[in-house]
Amino acid sequence: MPINMIPGRHQAARRGADAFLRALGSEQITLRIADPSAGDTNSQLGITPPTASDVQIAPAVVEVVTPAPDGTRRIQVMLGAKGLQPVADSYGVTDIPAWLLGSQGLVYRGQLMPIKSVTSNCFAGSEYLYLLIATE
Amino acid sequence: MQATKDSFYVALRNRLVAVDPQRTITIDGATRPAIVVAENEPPNAAPPLCDAFYLHWGGARAALPAAGTLMEMECTIAYRTKGTDQNGNLDRGRGLASLDNDVLAICYPPQTAKCDYCSGAAVPLGSTIFWTQPALSALVNAPPYIGREITVSVFFYPEVNQT
Repeated sequence: MPINMIPGRHQAARRGADAFLRALGSEQITLRIADPSAGDTNSQLGITPPTASDVQIAPAVVEVVTPAPDGTRRIQVMLGAKGLQPVADSYGVTDIPAWLLGSQGLVYRGQLMPIKSVTSNCFAGSEYLYLLIATE
Repeated sequence: MQATKDSFYVALRNRLVAVDPQRTITIDGATRPAIVVAENEPPNAAPPLCDAFYLHWGGARAALPAAGTLMEMECTIAYRTKGTDQNGNLDRGRGLASLDNDVLAICYPPQTAKCDYCSGAAVPLGSTIFWTQPALSALVNAPPYIGREITVSVFFYPEVNQT
């Protein structure tokens, strides 16, 4: 049977990516997500700060990469769909890259680093690996 | 100065609810009138949404340096649209005209009471702010969007002990 006719074949890439991330160290990263806004006047006027939740995602591979041209620190994070999907599902998210970009950022060594880019890798119409770049 | 910014925004927001109640946006899970003060949003907020008004505060100076303490502050209101998918985005011009109508409507009358919102509730400060007629910029065509900016000068008296 041709591979493109095997049902659930995208799970192979997901499991492979998950195993790959675990083999590279299986770290954990914290994603900070803004809680739903109250939408009241105080939040619109910038008086009431938005609250946020920290979510642990594993396995992850975190690498410190070349600083940006202005000298700010950058990190590159690889996340697997197998670890990220359950978290996204709990928030009712369907577009994971957009959700990550809309988050407050990653907490790395106590510092919040906004996510600047998200690249997703797909196999058989399903995402299996995400590459994130976050900066100070 | 902050009371002027807040009062101007709240006045326009409340008028937008009356003029076009369907014009809403959803930010961080909350649906609200489609008018936003850019400086009140997180620095890493998402790019500006379509069909929404974004207020940007500019410079301030004495309106009549030789007489009194009246000040003026510039406010730019930016908005853009890409039309609707149902109409193949061919209604971009109509969408922009609708936004133009709304922004002209909410800017009139060109005055409102000045209130202090720092405590979380509107505390009247006993004066009014007023502003010029909106000046519409040329249309900005940046496919798939078309948009525009309007500018108004908002006049106010700075108050003692006012942040």
